[in-house]
Amino acid sequence: MVKSLDDKIFNSIVYVILGLCGLAAILPILYVVAVSITPFGEVLRNGGFILFPREITFTAYRTLLTESNIPKAFQITVLITVIGTAVNLILTGLMAYPLSRKNLPARNFFLMMIVFTLLFSGGIIPTYLVVKSLGLLDSIWAMILPNAVWSFNVLIMKSFFEGLPEELFESARIDGAKEFRILLQIVTPLSVPVLLTVGLFYLVGHWNEFFQAIFYVTDRTLYPLQVVVREILMQSQQPLENAENMMPTQTMQMASVMIASLPVIVIYPFLQKHFTKGMLLGSIKG
Amino acid sequence: MEADHSLTPTPRIGPTPKTKLQSILRTIWSFRAFYIMLLPGVIYFIIFRYFPMYGVIIAFKNFAILEGITGSSWVNPWYKHFQDFYQSPYFGQLLSNTLLISVYKLVWGTLPPILLALLLNECRVRWLKSIVQTLTYMPHFLSWVIIFGILLTLFSQNGGLINRWIVEAGGTSVPFLTSTDYFRSILVGSEVWQNLGWGAIIYLAAMAGIDPTLYEAAKVDGASRVRMIWHITLPGIRSIIILLFILKLGHLLDAGFDQIYILYNIQVYPVADILDTWVYRTGLQQLNFSLASAVGLFKSVIGLILVLGANRMAKKWGEGIW
Amino acid sequence: MRKILSILLTASMLGAMLTACSGGDGNKIVGGDPSNTAKPNAETAQPSSKPVKIEIIETGNNLPSPDKDVIKQELDKALNIDLNLTVYPSGDDYSNQLSVRMASGNFPDLFMVDRQQLIEFSKQGLLLDLTSYMDKLEQTVAFIGEDSVKKGMVDGKVYAISKSPQIPYNTYWIRKDWLEKLQLQVPKTVEELSTVAEAFTKNDPDGNGKPDTIGLTGGKIGAFSPVFGAFGAGMPGNFYEKDGAVVNGLYDPAMKEALEFIKNMIASGSVDPELLANSGLQHQEKAIKGQAGIVYLDWPNMTKEQFVEQIKTVNPNAEWLQMTAPTGKGGQYDGSWDIGAAPGRFAIPKALEKDPEKLQRVFDLLNYISNPDGGSLLVQFGIQDTHFTLDNGKPKMTDKAGDVGYSWLYQFTGRPEMEYLQAKFSAQSEAIAFASEQPRIEILNGFIDNPQGFNPADADRYIEEELAKFIYNKRPLSQYDDFIKTLETSMNYKTFMDSALEQLKALGYGK
Repeated sequence: MVKSLDDKIFNSIVYVILGLCGLAAILPILYVVAVSITPFGEVLRNGGFILFPREITFTAYRTLLTESNIPKAFQITVLITVIGTAVNLILTGLMAYPLSRKNLPARNFFLMMIVFTLLFSGGIIPTYLVVKSLGLLDSIWAMILPNAVWSFNVLIMKSFFEGLPEELFESARIDGAKEFRILLQIVTPLSVPVLLTVGLFYLVGHWNEFFQAIFYVTDRTLYPLQVVVREILMQSQQPLENAENMMPTQTMQMASVMIASLPVIVIYPFLQKHFTKGMLLGSIKG
Repeated sequence: MEADHSLTPTPRIGPTPKTKLQSILRTIWSFRAFYIMLLPGVIYFIIFRYFPMYGVIIAFKNFAILEGITGSSWVNPWYKHFQDFYQSPYFGQLLSNTLLISVYKLVWGTLPPILLALLLNECRVRWLKSIVQTLTYMPHFLSWVIIFGILLTLFSQNGGLINRWIVEAGGTSVPFLTSTDYFRSILVGSEVWQNLGWGAIIYLAAMAGIDPTLYEAAKVDGASRVRMIWHITLPGIRSIIILLFILKLGHLLDAGFDQIYILYNIQVYPVADILDTWVYRTGLQQLNFSLASAVGLFKSVIGLILVLGANRMAKKWGEGIW
Repeated sequence: MRKILSILLTASMLGAMLTACSGGDGNKIVGGDPSNTAKPNAETAQPSSKPVKIEIIETGNNLPSPDKDVIKQELDKALNIDLNLTVYPSGDDYSNQLSVRMASGNFPDLFMVDRQQLIEFSKQGLLLDLTSYMDKLEQTVAFIGEDSVKKGMVDGKVYAISKSPQIPYNTYWIRKDWLEKLQLQVPKTVEELSTVAEAFTKNDPDGNGKPDTIGLTGGKIGAFSPVFGAFGAGMPGNFYEKDGAVVNGLYDPAMKEALEFIKNMIASGSVDPELLANSGLQHQEKAIKGQAGIVYLDWPNMTKEQFVEQIKTVNPNAEWLQMTAPTGKGGQYDGSWDIGAAPGRFAIPKALEKDPEKLQRVFDLLNYISNPDGGSLLVQFGIQDTHFTLDNGKPKMTDKAGDVGYSWLYQFTGRPEMEYLQAKFSAQSEAIAFASEQPRIEILNGFIDNPQGFNPADADRYIEEELAKFIYNKRPLSQYDDFIKTLETSMNYKTFMDSALEQLKALGYGK
């Protein structure tokens, strides 16, 4: 098939803009990577700016991975992320599906209830009291349960479910399928993109978890990754007035950022293929 | 109406309901599976979100830690903490800064990700799509401390890359980070940069749900690709655009504390100081929880009004949240 | 209709929850956490041999995990305790943590407080009044000194143990090699300082042919501390005694002259244009990178091995020289030094009263680390003969000293500052002594508590903002008096001034 001229022009515009977006994103990232593997003295000699390091060292990574609390924290983060995301997705799916049924009695009440919490919160002190009275302090559940459902994600998922064609549900019900089965066997396989999207939001949320950790956890062995990384970054922001304080170099800071974010960056390309246009509905209908 | 009716799992058996109450109960009973599904989530919301909600009353109290939230005395007059807030000589400026920065971010935080998602969706070269998608997603994982470092490297007046070029080209250096003229652009620009690819994810997911037969039909009719974007893709993601927009409106009075707190400095306060940074300096640093709570409540109420209003408008297009 | 119904439902649900939980938290707090206090109480009858758990929180960083923490292990052994220290790198995180812990009755046994927290918490009866326990803390008091005890007082009662006082670290540092290159002398007066800074900016001191150097940098307006001092003024907002009266730097007639001078210096282009935006250690980085020739900085950030190495990597010929404060018509002062400030204060919760055994252990801990023959050396230098050796009673660091670099986290009562630093940082001992010997204006701000109805955040912003305008010549200095007037009225600074002067008068300052 011969492409039309219009198509070619259109394609080139698309590629050029995408290329520019990619470039805008990669340059600063390259800088972070470059600094993380360059001896700090070298970084300073270059006025702080490096894109392509001439001298490479992995000392910062080695130090972080052996001498700091990062390895242990890494395990905790993986644990929280896996359990947390599973809990999140189950609860969110279970809420979003009924709420996508427009004729559900009291649907608006439940939706209001969810939207309301997006805007209003009781503040940290009463929430802490709840977590404490449930006996969750100093456990990994303190970093999972208080955020077990994000209102935002319920609404997103609900909105996607609403877009599914009604005929599917009708025919399933005529076949006598129960609602749980419809959710599991019809809705779920048809909603892979949104499940992955919402799952990714939750996953990244858990991965970046530090807020609940510093509030609810005092046991250092339960600290997740970001708390440790934050400790490294905070020292450069609010240097303590202490002669003893060892200031982490920029090289160290960038290396910690890389260690902390590389795993979540790497999984993204694996998720992308599930976003291919129209794949799912097409397969069902066709 | 037809379609709507057919959704109801029809009560199949039993005699016709006798009273209105019975009919309501019967309808509810027929939806029991749905309520069971909702139950765990609702329990979560009650315990972790609604139970602590009584905390908002400290906006009307002289919060004393020992007495606790319920035990602290009511403030007199009840609006005293709100008064403290709007009587600040900076109130007007704080509010207008917050709104301006927020509106800029709302516009620039919404359109570019949609555009990127459209372009990625149109991209026929698989590797390019995948690379650009991943690259633009990465900045989301850099915290503002790191981005601040990058901004300094680029925009600093002495030693910053851009100013070095300007000076070498014979110009005079530009105070990007300390001048009120540029600061908001830096704020909005860096936020757009950080969230471009991340924001596009959800639109890409929405596009994946569009029925491909629509495109095939349009192609047969000889529609151009721009026309297909306009008539198929955009309508296909309309509901998610509207949903996100409404939800963002609810947070119109949060202009991004983390970012501004790290990036701002005294010389740009007139354009950068927002409600949250003020609350931070005034309330939290001085243990004034009541004031912080009052401002929070103020923001929430405005947010609620905006969400309710926007939802009503959206419903006219058939796209409300509820 | 439907929407109204759902709003009503939501509201009623909220109402139900409010009633369900009122009563709940108030009671819990008053009695202290029962699980915390009741049990050990029963055990106090016969002192148990089981280690007592002691929980301590403070700001800090780089604390190793308990299994690698030899200081903790030594303290545990010596005092039969199980010490659980948690440190928070961010002051805000710490402050939040402390507030929720206090509010939930989940008190740590010893915790750091700043002056504001000390006042708030003591007023609310959350802190143990240590006045009647002073006899049990004799060792601690002897260690920190009577003046420090006063810094932990609120309304005449001791609510916190203040760390022993620190010494000043800051001075101007100047590039000696740049001076030599341009054949200049170390500036002795502020005028010379200005001339040298200008030469550093314009005469290409690094010899690379590019106009890429600046004269002076530092962290915000503090970079000019010695300049204010040379005019005899403290920093804006500082309270100090001058000719027998207490003055605020902003009201000092010398302030205007100092600002005028600084304005001219900035106008000459010799000052870091981003001076007021320098956060963290950006100014230090500019100095190390060879961008600035004079920097107002503390000795650790200039002379510690880590930084010396960085300086030498950037430019092997770079040499930084510590500089005495320049003189001016108002004298010679290297900025100001707050004699009312404490390097840190630790408080004990009132709830611990009910657990005398644990309380005793906390006292034991404080006394132990304050005892030169006990644990004081441990928390200063680590384990004897491992991390340091005693040479004629003088501690010397071994090459393993770096393993316990975090030991300062355990110095809850401070340390004998000068001897400590001289021993721990023997390579820097000259710089330490030099900085501490500089004349400084003694300021009294640490003794002043903010009065009701005064919002320091608004006033601070206004002061900083207007001063920035004055020194950047965006507002003429002829309007200085108008600035003070607005500050007093719109920002309520008058209330603060009156209250501050009164508080200082009560302490015997001024007449």
